[in-house]
This record gives sequence, structure tokens and C-alpha cells, in this order.
Amino acid sequence: MKYNLTTRDRLIWPALLFVVIVWVGCVSESDEPILSLYRFEKPSHFPEPTYTFQNNDVNEKGFNLGKMLFFDPSLSRDGSVSCSSCHVQSHAFADTWLHPFSFGVEDREGVRNSPPLFNLAFQTEFFWDGGVTHLDFAPILAIESEIEMDESFENLVHKLNNHTQYPKLFKEAFGVEEITGPYVLHAFSQFMLLMVSADSRYDQFVKGDQNALNQEEIEGLLLFRKHCESCHREPLFTDLSYRNNGVQKTITDLGREAITEVAQDRAKFKVPSLRNIEVTSPYMHNARFEGLLQVLNHYTEGIQEQVNIDPLVFKNGKPTIQLTDPEKEKIIAFLKSLTDDNFINNPIFFNSNE
Amino acid sequence: MKNIKSKLAISIVFLFSSLFFSCQENEDPNSISQGEMIVKFDNYVGNQNMVIDEVGSTNYRYSNANGQEFNLTRFGYYISHVRLEGPNGEVFIDEMNASADAKQIKGYYRVVQGESDTYNIHLKNIPAGQYNKIIFNLGVKEDGIQEGAVGGILDRAAGAWFWNWNSGFINYIIEGHSPASLRDENRLQIHIGGWKNIPSADENPQRFFDNNVEVSLPFDATVMVSETMRPSPHIIMDLLKVIGDTDLAIQNNIHSPAAAVPFVQKLAEAFVVDHTHQ
Ligand code: HEC
Ligand code: HEC
Repeated sequence: MKYNLTTRDRLIWPALLFVVIVWVGCVSESDEPILSLYRFEKPSHFPEPTYTFQNNDVNEKGFNLGKMLFFDPSLSRDGSVSCSSCHVQSHAFADTWLHPFSFGVEDREGVRNSPPLFNLAFQTEFFWDGGVTHLDFAPILAIESEIEMDESFENLVHKLNNHTQYPKLFKEAFGVEEITGPYVLHAFSQFMLLMVSADSRYDQFVKGDQNALNQEEIEGLLLFRKHCESCHREPLFTDLSYRNNGVQKTITDLGREAITEVAQDRAKFKVPSLRNIEVTSPYMHNARFEGLLQVLNHYTEGIQEQVNIDPLVFKNGKPTIQLTDPEKEKIIAFLKSLTDDNFINNPIFFNSNE
Repeated sequence: MKNIKSKLAISIVFLFSSLFFSCQENEDPNSISQGEMIVKFDNYVGNQNMVIDEVGSTNYRYSNANGQEFNLTRFGYYISHVRLEGPNGEVFIDEMNASADAKQIKGYYRVVQGESDTYNIHLKNIPAGQYNKIIFNLGVKEDGIQEGAVGGILDRAAGAWFWNWNSGFINYIIEGHSPASLRDENRLQIHIGGWKNIPSADENPQRFFDNNVEVSLPFDATVMVSETMRPSPHIIMDLLKVIGDTDLAIQNNIHSPAAAVPFVQKLAEAFVVDHTHQ
């Protein structure tokens, strides 16, 4: 057959070439996520992050170094406790239910339940009382706290400088000959900044997948928006304010007052996010409740008159939130749709020390 | 043809050389003449020189207006945002930079009693001219805190005075012992810090206190800064101006912004320029 270049052929070849180019482009594009695994990306439906990335941009080496530190018990005074002892990935980096109050070195009991760690790049104040004003400073408190790791930060940095591996890794990640405090803190932050949880079924739903939630969960979402949204505001599920929702029977923990030094803040605590709430039991700063139904019963019946009780949950001598049993079930069903399996199973956070 | 070529060559040479000279001109020392100044800090307790004793010492060298004896085991302060002003509108603003890299830290200084190399603040790149006033911030402001972890004298792991539970630096630190204090080991700790204000509104009281203090000190004489003249103002700080009237039986354990406020009001008065060396 005689090969005859028709007009059609003349169009087909460039078109084919174009397809090939696009395909090659796609192939390299589908490589992208692997390259950017270690880059911070703001979920499209989230607000702008507040972390100072201009001073500490996340990269693979810094992230891995932060991870190594996070899982390393030799950082604590007696070598028994690492960050990961109290912040466990399968519990969205909260403590396990075995430890209602976190246990530090020598099993000294803490006074507050360890919170989960995620979406930290969007927060401006840390810890239940918000006393820590930058994510970089959070590890200092954890390390130096007598009931956590009970080690001076100064001593820890000294230990790292005398370690067989850390000096080399810090040089690779930050180009420094000597390990100093800020680089240790930057490494911790890089690891924690990538703990972004924004891929629950709820997220798929708000991003347009109508089938991501079932009917009961959608009704739960609507009830949630009516009763809970004013404090647990979407998409972070916290408005980042400090409030007293009445979980202390008698006030022993001053909460925010210890930081602001005004009685108007007594017994107020940071409104926690409710993402991954299914896996972070027990609940509240004082670990008062094991189950979500108990939490809802607290809001509808348990709250009593108390100093600084928030008027959104208690007014005119009684709890403001009224829910029937089926409504409670719906809210709980909705709360469980906030579990982000991709986050709590994400292998980039797995312990890779030895 | 040849003619054109050589004309081209000449003009290229001319072009480059003019570029070269204009670059040179930028470095002409006459147009941006600069100099330096060494600001010297000397700490006193009343009219006694300040001496640091070992922790646990019962040698009480000093006493306040209430007759309460005390000694000092740690004393110092942060200084930042230094500015110089002159009689003819001269202004020098010391460059500020907070960074993880200790070498990139600019404009933060710390005077630590007992470490004599910290007593002199070396100001550089001052435009040549006359100066008769120094203004500085006593403490570390928000711009040294909210950038996150920083190095050098601001690195907690290198001994920076930093509150871990209520983030912020201790601007001015006093530690020692006083028989008037009934705490363990007669301890005396006055840590003055705080860097933000949330003012009162409606029924809400003020939250937090910005305990940074602007200290503004006229020199005893106008000094001249130039390439060859490096003047040195000598500042004296008197601790008794701060705790001279304090009842050390009560005020011996200060660790928060609100509690520090009564001391802060007296801090600016504690500094004075004693004399200047031209
Ligand atoms: C002994 C248990 C324990 C250990 C070990 C521990 N933490 Fe925590 N962590 C807690 C508790 C409890 C809190 C809340 C304390 C509070 O609010 O007073 C907390 C709070 C935090 C927060 C603030 C979270 C928020 O949402 O405000 C961060 C960040 C954090 N820890 C990181 C770390 C890092 C990094 C390490 C290792 C250097 C570490 N933790 C080690 C128990 C622990
Ligand atoms: C007045 C604001 C407010 C409202 C309204 C509110 N909450 Fe809360 N919630 C809080 C605060 C504050 C805490 C933390 C209290 C503490 O630990 O001291 C909290 C804690 C929780 C916790 C425990 C979180 C954890 O990590 O331990 C759950 C679950 C919860 N709320 C669910 C709800 C639900 C469901 C609703 C609606 C029915 C609701 N909340 C309404 C303020 C509020």
C-alpha cells in the first residue's frame, strides 16, 4: 500500500505527539505528590496557616530529623520517655486511653490530658491554657516539664551534640556545624507541621462529594451546626478561644487564668478541635469522659452553675443545649465522620528509628 | 569597515569603563562616611559596685531602704532597638534581625553581671555626625518572640532567659538571697517580662502587660562620630532605683507580666548617662 499523507494524517501525527507530551507531563505530574510529600500544603478549604514558614520551611531532611527526635526516648532525663509516649499516631497523636493523664518520667502523673497533634500550622497558641505562643516553643515546655520529660533543654542540646548521629543529620538538614536550640526546635516543628488532618469523610462532603456522608451523618452535621458550631467552628472545629464548658466539678485547675492573670479567665480552656475525636478518648482537659455520649449528656444535663460558665452552654440556671436521644446519636454519628484514616495511618509519620 | 569596527571597540571600552567607574563611585568613602560607638554599662547597687555571689551565699552585701539585706546571684537585662539622635536631626537606628542562625542576629544585646565582655555594646555603621542622645528598649519585644525559635543570646538552650510556660523573655532578671524572704534558702527572684497588651474593653480587664521599657538618655555632652572618632557613652544602672523600696518579705517571687508591673514603672529611672568619652 502506498503511503499517502492525507490532511487527516497530517493532523493526527501532531495530535498524537501532543497526547504523548501531555501523557509524559501527566506522568511527571503524578510523581509530584511523592516529591511534595514533605512540603506543607494548605488544604483548599482551610484558612491561611499562621506558622512562620519564612523562617523554617519544611523539607524532607528537616522533617525526618524531627521525626527521629520525636521518637527518641534518650531525650528525656532518664531515657524512658519520648514525645511519642504521649502522642500516638493511631490516636491522632493524643495519648492512649490507658493514660487519662499523661505519664512522664518515673510515672509522675500529669494534671492534663495530652491533646492530639494536628493542624498545628493554623493555631496561634498552644497547650490547654494557650500559654505557648509559637509552635517552635512547644517542645521546650514538653521537655522541661517535670511531669513530662523533666530534662533541661540546654542539657538535651548538649546530649545531641555528643550523639553519634545527630550532628551529621543537623548539618545535612540545616547546614550547621554545631547543634543549637533553634535548629532542634525547627526540626520538631517541621515534623509536626506536616500533621495536617483534612481528609475525613466530612471534608470530602464539604468539598462536594454528596455521598461521603449518609443521611444520619448529614442530620448530625446540621444539629452540630445548630448547637456546637459557635465554639467548635468549622473547618478547624475550634474558634481558638478559651471557655469554661463546666467540666471541672470543683475548680482545681485555673486554666487560662494562670496565663492572663485575670479572674475572668478562671477555669477557661482552649476550645479543642473535634477532628479525629473518635480516637482521642478520654475527653476534656481533665479526661473526665470516656465516651462521646457522656460528653453530650454533660452538655444537656451535667453542666452546673459555676464561675465563668459559658452562656452558650449554660444560661438562666440551666444548660442551654437540648437534645433528644436520637439527636445525640446523630451528632455522634457525625462526629465519627471526622476521623481521618489517611492521617492516622499515614506512613510518613511512622517511627523509623532503628 | 575597519574604521567602524575600531569605533565600536572604543565605544565598548568606554561603556565598560564608565560602568566600572560608576561602580567605584558607590564605594567612595566620603559620601557615606560611617563610624562606631561603644556604649558601656556599669551596674551599681546604690553607691556600691555590683558583685555576683554564688548561689547559697549568706554574705549580704546590700540593703534596701527598708533595711532588708540581700545579695545577688544573677543579674542582667536585654537591650534592643537602639537608636541615637543628634542636635541637627541626625538619627541612627541599629539594625534588628531575629534568626535561628546566631551569626545573623542583629540588634539584640544582653548585659550579664559577672561577664565583663557583655558590658560593652558595640554599635557599628553609624553615619558620621553629632549625637547627644541614646534611646533603647529594655527587653525583647514581640518581633524577637513571634518569629519563632531564634539563636545566640535568645537561645534558651544557650542560657537565654525565656519563660517556657508563658512564652516570652525575661527582660530584666534579679536573683539572690535575702534574710527577709522566708522562701526556701531565703530565695529572691524577680523576673520581669511580658511583651503584649490586650487592653481592657467594656467589662473585660486588661490581659497581659507589655513590660518592655523605652529608656531615653541624653548624653552629658554632644559627641562626634566619624571614621576616626569612636566615642563611648558610659551608662550607670542603679538596682536600688528598682527594688530600693520593695518589701522583700513579700515581693520575692515575681514570675509573671502582671506581677512585674510595679517594678517596670521604675526601670527607666534606673539608667543614667554618667559621662561620655569622646
Ligand atoms: C508525658 C506525656 C507527654 C510527653 C512525653 C510529651 N507531651 Fe506534648 N503534651 C502533653 C500534655 C499533657 C499536653 C497538654 C498540656 C497542657 O496543656 O498543659 C501536651 C501538649 C503538647 C502540644 C500542644 C498541643 C496543642 O494543641 O496545644 C504540643 C505541640 C506537644 N505537646 C508536643 C510535644 C513534643 C514535641 C514532645 C516531645 C518533645 C511532647 N509533646 C512530649 C503530654 C506529653
Ligand atoms: C461554649 C462553647 C462550646 C460549645 C457550644 C460546645 N463546646 Fe464542646 N468544648 C468546649 C470546650 C471549652 C471544651 C474543652 C473543655 C475542657 O477540657 O476544659 C470542649 C470539649 C469538647 C469535647 C472534648 C474534646 C477533647 O478533645 O477532649 C467534645 C467531644 C465536645 N466538646 C463536643 C461538643 C459538642 C458535640 C457540642 C455541641 C453539642 C459542643 N461540644 C458544644 C466548648 C464548647
